[in-house]
Amino acid sequence: MISIDNVTVGYGTAGFITAVDAVSLTIGSNEIIGIAGESGSGKSTLMRAVYGDFSTGLRIKSGTVTGRFTDAATGKTIEKPSSQFRDLWWDQISYIPQGSMSVLNPLMKIEKQVVDGLPRRERGSSRRELRARIAKFLAGFGLEENVLDAYPHQLSGGMRQRVLVAIAAFVNPRLILADEPTTALDVVVQKKILLMMVEIQRRLQNTLVLVSHDLGVHYQITDRLVIMYKGQIVEAGRTADIFANPQHDYTRNLIASLPRLHGQRAVDRVGAGA
Amino acid sequence: MRSFFTHAPFRLYLGLLLLAVCIVVGGILPWLAPGDPLVWYSAPRNQNPSGAYWLGTTSLGQDVFWLLTYALRNSIILGLIVAGLSTVIGVFLGLAAGYAGGWLDRVLSFFMDALLCIPTLPILILMAALFGGQLALPIVGLLLVVFNWPYPARQVRAVALTMREREFINVAWFSGESSTRILIRHIFPYIAGWSAANFINTVLVGISTESALAVIGLSSAQQATLGTMIYWAINYQALLGGKYVWIGSPVVAIVLLFIGLFLVSSGLSMQSAAKRMSV
Repeated sequence: MISIDNVTVGYGTAGFITAVDAVSLTIGSNEIIGIAGESGSGKSTLMRAVYGDFSTGLRIKSGTVTGRFTDAATGKTIEKPSSQFRDLWWDQISYIPQGSMSVLNPLMKIEKQVVDGLPRRERGSSRRELRARIAKFLAGFGLEENVLDAYPHQLSGGMRQRVLVAIAAFVNPRLILADEPTTALDVVVQKKILLMMVEIQRRLQNTLVLVSHDLGVHYQITDRLVIMYKGQIVEAGRTADIFANPQHDYTRNLIASLPRLHGQRAVDRVGAGA
Repeated sequence: MRSFFTHAPFRLYLGLLLLAVCIVVGGILPWLAPGDPLVWYSAPRNQNPSGAYWLGTTSLGQDVFWLLTYALRNSIILGLIVAGLSTVIGVFLGLAAGYAGGWLDRVLSFFMDALLCIPTLPILILMAALFGGQLALPIVGLLLVVFNWPYPARQVRAVALTMREREFINVAWFSGESSTRILIRHIFPYIAGWSAANFINTVLVGISTESALAVIGLSSAQQATLGTMIYWAINYQALLGGKYVWIGSPVVAIVLLFIGLFLVSSGLSMQSAAKRMSV
């Protein structure tokens, strides 16, 4: 679905600050891929490059990110670089950004915000019909219909995050990029939202890319796991394999730092090459 | 609309009442005038208020009451046009500068800063001298627009700059909305309330600047405005001659209009603050 070929991405107009360094990765259809790594390891930058959002001064220095999608209307296969993904946004690809507290417009009711992002083909039906569909969809997330008439500040953090996931999933995208969708939420809500996302993925048979620095999250839901460190992919493979037999020192440290129910956790060193 | 009026603060009612009086006097009554009140000697000179001449007459033989309605009409029209154009231009260019950024922002900011630095009244006096001592009303209006659009533009630009970095604007962008749509749907609601207050304020500025210009005799003497009424009254020694109604009526009209606009402006902001606080 997406092939990332030896791509180097970074920021800056005068100079160039490398954030993602010579990364290659293939994202297939119908799978859940996890990307783990510490803050500043290039996870979010890689996501932005895949999504094709170059509005913030992001630049691809070398390599390519190519996507292959099937047009829903004509059934034709579209193949293009991520810099031209814009007309696929919120249609074939959707993005759940970091930080649930500030991503909804505080002056707009939830219903308006859901409707606003929809592609034209979804907006065809009448307003009441559309509202009923959205309400039904939100019910699957454990949200009542009156949430649609609320402003974001009237909802709790967990509800807002669920609304966000719902907005991203409502258009039935082929690819959902979720950038730390559960940070700043307590573990119970976090688990609920993750399970919801897995359920959506299983139902739509699409691809979910989940960025998180919480290995516990990855262990629970991802099929494949990619470990990033200092802008590079240091390890990639099936999640179970990586947890059973980590190859890279950094991965080993990450796994060792997880809290254990029994015995002591190995907290002696942090960082790769330790 | 009903709930808007039932819970409004008292000052909003008072302001609306004053404005309504001004609009009736300046907007409707001029149509009912028996003749053109500007024409000299269409009435006996120097009359005190009476049944025939409600506010008396001027030393030039004009009926003060009907003259006042004409003056109020012209002043209000001038103020509204100046405020409307300044606000529209200011909001539009401010949004463009703040949201687009880059060279457009630099060029527009340069003009805003330059115009903000120049004091308006001295320039108007210079222009009046340049045009042979008097400026026609449309030119005064045009100059006032030129000097008044940078205020809203600067503020709107600042709001647009902070909005551009907000996460929900990013999300709107991610979801494939166009820049125009983002500006209208997401950024404009943030500046709409402020723009309304600024509009009212600019009406005040427009009327008062023109009056100031008129009082020193540099605005159009051919058309009645509140300022030119005061100018003629001063020229004919209305105060010394004890014709307080002639010179007093435009002053009272200006003061009432200003108080009305101020009360409406602050009443509206109280109203929206109250709405914000209620969950």
